[in-house]
Amino acid sequence: MKIIKDKVTKLSFVALLITVTAAMFYAPTASAHGEKSQAAFMRMRTIHWYDLNWSKDTVPVNDTMTVTGKFHVFAGWPETVDKPEISFLNIGIPGPVFIRAGSWIGGQLVPRSVSLELGETYEFKVLLKARRPGDWHVHSMMNVKGGGPIIGPGKWVTITGSMSNFTNPITTLTGQTIDLETWNLGNTYFWHTFWYVFGIAYVAYWARKPMFIPRIIAVDAGKADSLITPLDKKVGLAFGVAAIGIVAATMVSTNEQYPVTTPLQAGLLRGMKPIELPAPTVSVKVEDATYRVPGRAMQMTLTITNNGDSSIRLGEFNTAGVRFLDAAVHVDETGYPDDLLAEEGLTVSDNSPLAPGQTRTINVTASDAAWEVYRLADLIYDPDSRFAGLLFFTDESGNRQMVTVDAPLIPSFS
Amino acid sequence: MSASQSAVRSRAEAVKVSRTFDWLILFALFFIILGGYHVHFMLTGGDWDFWTDWKDRRLWVTVLPIVGITFPAAVQAVLWWRYRLPFGAIVSVLGLLFGEWVNRYFNFWGWTYFPVNFVFPSQFVPGAIVLDVVLLLTNSMIITAVIGGLAYGLLFYPGNWPVMAPLHIPVEYNGMMMTLADLQGYHYVRTGTPEYIRMVEKGTLRTFGKDVAPVSAFFSGFVSIIIYFLWHFFGKWFGSTAFTQAA
Repeated sequence: MKIIKDKVTKLSFVALLITVTAAMFYAPTASAHGEKSQAAFMRMRTIHWYDLNWSKDTVPVNDTMTVTGKFHVFAGWPETVDKPEISFLNIGIPGPVFIRAGSWIGGQLVPRSVSLELGETYEFKVLLKARRPGDWHVHSMMNVKGGGPIIGPGKWVTITGSMSNFTNPITTLTGQTIDLETWNLGNTYFWHTFWYVFGIAYVAYWARKPMFIPRIIAVDAGKADSLITPLDKKVGLAFGVAAIGIVAATMVSTNEQYPVTTPLQAGLLRGMKPIELPAPTVSVKVEDATYRVPGRAMQMTLTITNNGDSSIRLGEFNTAGVRFLDAAVHVDETGYPDDLLAEEGLTVSDNSPLAPGQTRTINVTASDAAWEVYRLADLIYDPDSRFAGLLFFTDESGNRQMVTVDAPLIPSFS
Repeated sequence: MSASQSAVRSRAEAVKVSRTFDWLILFALFFIILGGYHVHFMLTGGDWDFWTDWKDRRLWVTVLPIVGITFPAAVQAVLWWRYRLPFGAIVSVLGLLFGEWVNRYFNFWGWTYFPVNFVFPSQFVPGAIVLDVVLLLTNSMIITAVIGGLAYGLLFYPGNWPVMAPLHIPVEYNGMMMTLADLQGYHYVRTGTPEYIRMVEKGTLRTFGKDVAPVSAFFSGFVSIIIYFLWHFFGKWFGSTAFTQAA
């Protein structure tokens, strides 16, 4: 019996070793940045990203690319998330694989936090400079204070070349051109080494004499004072005076070497300029909306009125970055990420052109595996079961018009 | 050999064993302090020590000495009152600095590729030396707290300034003025650290114009005095064999 037990133990141990070793060789690429795990209502009812464009699919190190587009700050912002009064236009990438060479909202550089208005639409641009080779998922992203990161659609971009060739030249206001990638590195190593050696020298002075056992015996015997000699005090004093002297001297010499320094900059940028969109000529009333769980489809009954002077058709429903298109009306030619694009995902009961002045009630179905893949179906488990999104209507001339929808959503489980 | 017999047979052998113990204990002490102090410092100092664009003249100067005087005070209490060894503070900060460099180099640079000139740690060596020397010269916890604690706060900013000054050179970037440290924070993307989280230049200390750092350093020194007392007693109370059971 014992032999069997020993064998089982031994084999189990070998199996464990093999498993651990095998696990070491399995290192899958991280495929996304957790956007799927973010509550569905956060993605559907806060920031709506659209007209996104990633300027390149492949970028060599030191080369640049842009992520551009628009975002609509949803007027029906959920009560459970802080308003975007302090927000920061970020970029969702796995660390500094790119450097953010610039970011703009409405043409204004936004290295700082900004204040956004509900119901407004803004144009944005992020300029990225490639730094670390690899395949990276690049997302648009807005951080909202009290709300957390609101991540937008992402697309894979490949950086080629070698990181050792990356440079980041900057010209300062004092006229010096430096490489920010390596600037001040030697100085940092020097001073930290200097002070470390200084500290070790002080410890070494005490460590050259017996330390722990004889000293605790002496202290316990009431002879603690005999352990510190006058020379010890003089040496200690010398170290203390030297430390203060060196700090004072280096402070002075540093100020002489760098006479112009400024404090760190911080602040909030207000008055971001939104896009001046023309007043919508299409009005949409959501009569009802249901999400059919087994069919992975959302059905809406909409009453649409065309108050414009050109007939219109519904071409797209966009929510949480997932685009459901009616291919007969609108075809995407921007290279939008496949997993976020349902090219034939929008079915409209009657999508014939709606003439000016006419009103029509239609059934719209947005269906695609993306509801499940991007966990938007989890909306039915949210505390405030509402859906929201953008509807895009296309007129006879091909102009698009955006209308927001926001309504309760009833789940259907059969 | 019975339990009552000595493990050594001569004085020379006893001295040799004692020295071996010295090095073993010092080595172990260094890494044990490193571990505890490092975790404590990461949790309390955190971002103020991680990034150059957090190292401002107000909160960095104020916060770091206050949270950094803790372990030096406690270790001093153990090493001084039990062994009359006046290097508790310096051993602590050397341990912390070593641990922080390992962290910054292997994690921040080696793993996530943030440049080292953006994520290097702060150092407390001059303040710790003075803290130890004051205790050595005065043999008084109170004087060490008042003089040494204040010096610990005061020496922090100037002690790190030679490394920080080159990063405070101004630069014009797309029509805005920034320091090079600000630009590092903007360029090297931190997805989980948006700009509004950065706690710099906040507070109501506006009376002294641009000379904020010395006032912040004094305030830090005063609070460091209080924290010194607290942690010195932690060292005295818990640096004891009372919690272990003899075999």
